Amino acid sequence: MKKYVGLLLIVLLLATGVSMAQDVVLEFQQWWEPELPEGSFRAILDDFEAANPGIKVETISGPYLTTKDQIIASAATGTMADVVGLDGAWVNVLWKQGALHSLSQAMADADYDDSELAAQIQLAGETYMIPIANFIYPVFVNLDLLEAAGIDPPTTRAEFAAAAMALTDPDNNVYGWAQPLSLEQPNGIQNDTMSWLWASGGSMLDDMGQPHLAGNEALAETLEFLKGLHDAGVVAPGAFSMKENEKVEEFVNGRVAMIINTLAHFTLIRERNPDLNFDITALPAAEGYDGPRGLPYASWGIGISSNTEHKAEAWKLIDFLTSVDGNSKLTSIANAFPGNVNATPDFIQTDPLFMTAFEIFQEGFLANEFTGLPAAEELMRQFDEPFQFYLEGEMELDEFLEIAQEEWEDIFS
Amino acid sequence: MVTSAQSQVAETPNVRWEQRKRKLLPYGYLSPTLILLAALTIVPIVTVFLYSLVDNVIVNPNPPEFVGLDNYEEVLTHRKFRGALSNTIYFSLVSVVAHFFIGLSFALMLNSRLLGANVKAVFRVIYILPWVFTASIIAILWRLLLNPHGVVNFVLLELGLVEELQEFLSDRRLALNAVTFINIWSGYPFYLVSFLAGLQGIPDDLYEAGRVDGGNAWQLFLNITLPQLKPIIISLALLDFIWTIHQFTLIWMTTGGGPMRSTEVLSTYTYKAAFSSHEYSIASTIAMVILGICTFVAIFYVRSQRMVDE
Amino acid sequence: MIGSRRQILARKILLWIALILGACFAALPVLWMVSSSFKSNLKIFAYPPALIDESFSFDAYLAVLGDPGQLRFFFNSYLVAILVTICTVVTSIMAGYAFSRYDFRFKKILNLVIIGVQSVPPITLMIPYFGLIVWLGIYNSYAALVLTYMVFTLSYAIIMMTGYFNTLPRDLDEAVMIDGGGSFVTLWRILVPISLPGIVAVGVYTFMLAWNEFLFALTLTRTNDMRTVPIGIHLLMGQHSFEWNQMLALSVLGSLPVLILFLLFQRYFIAGMSAGSIKG
Repeated sequence: MKKYVGLLLIVLLLATGVSMAQDVVLEFQQWWEPELPEGSFRAILDDFEAANPGIKVETISGPYLTTKDQIIASAATGTMADVVGLDGAWVNVLWKQGALHSLSQAMADADYDDSELAAQIQLAGETYMIPIANFIYPVFVNLDLLEAAGIDPPTTRAEFAAAAMALTDPDNNVYGWAQPLSLEQPNGIQNDTMSWLWASGGSMLDDMGQPHLAGNEALAETLEFLKGLHDAGVVAPGAFSMKENEKVEEFVNGRVAMIINTLAHFTLIRERNPDLNFDITALPAAEGYDGPRGLPYASWGIGISSNTEHKAEAWKLIDFLTSVDGNSKLTSIANAFPGNVNATPDFIQTDPLFMTAFEIFQEGFLANEFTGLPAAEELMRQFDEPFQFYLEGEMELDEFLEIAQEEWEDIFS
Repeated sequence: MVTSAQSQVAETPNVRWEQRKRKLLPYGYLSPTLILLAALTIVPIVTVFLYSLVDNVIVNPNPPEFVGLDNYEEVLTHRKFRGALSNTIYFSLVSVVAHFFIGLSFALMLNSRLLGANVKAVFRVIYILPWVFTASIIAILWRLLLNPHGVVNFVLLELGLVEELQEFLSDRRLALNAVTFINIWSGYPFYLVSFLAGLQGIPDDLYEAGRVDGGNAWQLFLNITLPQLKPIIISLALLDFIWTIHQFTLIWMTTGGGPMRSTEVLSTYTYKAAFSSHEYSIASTIAMVILGICTFVAIFYVRSQRMVDE
Repeated sequence: MIGSRRQILARKILLWIALILGACFAALPVLWMVSSSFKSNLKIFAYPPALIDESFSFDAYLAVLGDPGQLRFFFNSYLVAILVTICTVVTSIMAGYAFSRYDFRFKKILNLVIIGVQSVPPITLMIPYFGLIVWLGIYNSYAALVLTYMVFTLSYAIIMMTGYFNTLPRDLDEAVMIDGGGSFVTLWRILVPISLPGIVAVGVYTFMLAWNEFLFALTLTRTNDMRTVPIGIHLLMGQHSFEWNQMLALSVLGSLPVLILFLLFQRYFIAGMSAGSIKG
């Protein structure tokens, strides 16, 4: 009896030893799992594991707001996960820290053909992040409010201002537009401020990719337009501490008629308020501009840790998530536009609103100049602070742009 | 009994041993604390100190470069630092004073003999309510309450106390007071519980003696309660001051230091330096300045402790 | 407090008014939290606001309780908070006793050090501290959280215990010593029982801190099976939107057991329990 038990133990030990020797466990740190329907992200990874025997993926999921800090801290202490989810606003700092492995290298090692990738985020000539899901930011309009006022969705800035004016009714707590400018999450500078500039073909950088704020005619016009909206009282109150999520809640409650907002919110808005009659439209352009509209967007990007011992396996995971099949599945559950040009998430064919969005997407171009910039979040914040002074009327436009220019140059150098 | 029997037959070496033991004993009692603090705090604090003397740390590929006190000069002369410092002092002082008054008043009420035991039990639980929530939820709750379309504005408008919606957290004239108020609300239970404990330590006969001398309630409070609580008051105020300086989540998640830097305090300023502009050297330098301020205050505490001991 | 019956009645009325005003200050915001946790996410932002509206439901609570991951967060929070409380109380009683009853060479310096370690903003300590925990090999374990929280709580606990022991007359323990009890016996048999209110205050504070801490709980853990309730709350704060009602429901659920524990322990705050008889 004892003999058999002993034998069994040895066999068991051998078995586990063998399987441990075979299985590579990839740690995958991201904030996506909690954002997606329960279990759906795991299901995609299970597909990957089934297709790649010997590789297991272990997810390390955290809240979005702290993911960047956590990755920086783990990179500094050598505990970074093998594969990480990345945001365009923080890829630069991790690259600078030496925490990211060159994906150009990984692609070369794997003889990968990158022609299907919609975009690659490059720093110093090499790719460090591949966006695998993109969320564009069109204008959401409350059709009921627009119809009551007898106006059509605006297509130019002047029309937008006039519409916002007509829609604003403070006695009933309805405002034309909302601009979140919280300094905690200053992404309102990207999504709700600079987006106006990009939509009209403008740029906040010069040809060398350096800050171009002071003396930037197109930017000055944009900001004057925005101040005009604030001065006219058509912007929802509380702008200076408002965050993205509160902007949406105001819209969902019918208190704000128009917002610039991510497509990621489609399902949410429908769930929160099934009665809300809303549509989307491209961001209005400056008068006389008829070029393609820049569309602000945010991405779920992916990268590989420079410390990982499993670079080849890590690349296999990225390969899978950017493949037609894997990417279609992921973007379908995330309601995102694909990172693979041939992938087709199912909602594009089934949902009329997404079809509109897809048209906007095809007619315009993805524009987010903050992606890959050094300390992008800090750039937004340093712009936000004097912007608030300007909106409050305590600073002239020129002075505000001078200050912002100086702060930005500081960060760039 | 054993010890006294021993001491009767004590010989010189034994007495010496006893003396030495008496000298070493306090260190023995302190050893768990000291070992833990030494193991877990010396390395990080020294690291932060070293960061403050160099440039290029953590997120910079260049090798660290010794710059002496340059970082300190940069921090201390920066206009934004001074703004943050004065906001911090306002925020901390008002919070500490308000915490003290609210905590003490509530503790005295809950200690009153005019109330039954069950009434006290219920109110004790009600009064510590703000304490049982994590800081981020408190921030989120108060953002809901103070929203321009939130319930506070609604009630104030209905009561006719204000004429239009107030932007408590996005109006620079109101924001610092608003976050200070939130901090007062969330922090006083700590004093309340400490004072409740402290009040139990005041012997009744002191009050009886005071009453015999003809003191009224107010005099008894001034002459007996306050002096008896003094060691606790000083300790609490010191610790609360340190914690309030470090208060980050509440301010960060309600205003992010805005609008227009009106609620920028040292903790938000440090966080931005570390995790937004990724200048860890600067963040470490501010940390050291804060350490300096706190140590300065702590010296007063240690002095007062000595007086109490004597 | 000898006075006529009328005076006492007047005092009682004033006291009740003050008590109720204080309760409003403390509890109305929490009442709003509870009320919002029963609303739909849409109605939480409705204007004019209502305490209870037609969206009233237990959905948020069911969503939280139906998630085994969240229950694990509760278990972790309790385990960590209870361990921290026990360790901190025992350690701080010993340290407080040393500071209160002995004179020794480095007393002042050590006192300063114990406060000093609190004075560096935790945010800046995070990265080097994280490195240390990884180096010690206790990353992603309960030990990491328990030891870390002890570093935070010990300052207050020691200062409070020292202060509390200082209010107790020395002749009390000297009498015991002369009777032949060692210092250890004096501490645990005599001082500790009298000091229960102070110990409970320390315990309550320690428990609350360990229960509510977020930053280090997140940094020092990697997998969800080690994480605590505050992280569970943060996981409901999405990139683009929050699950407001679930976050609030989770907070309410988390607070209930804490309040019950407090209700059990608060009897140690009853006036005169320790004073008088023993000290007289």
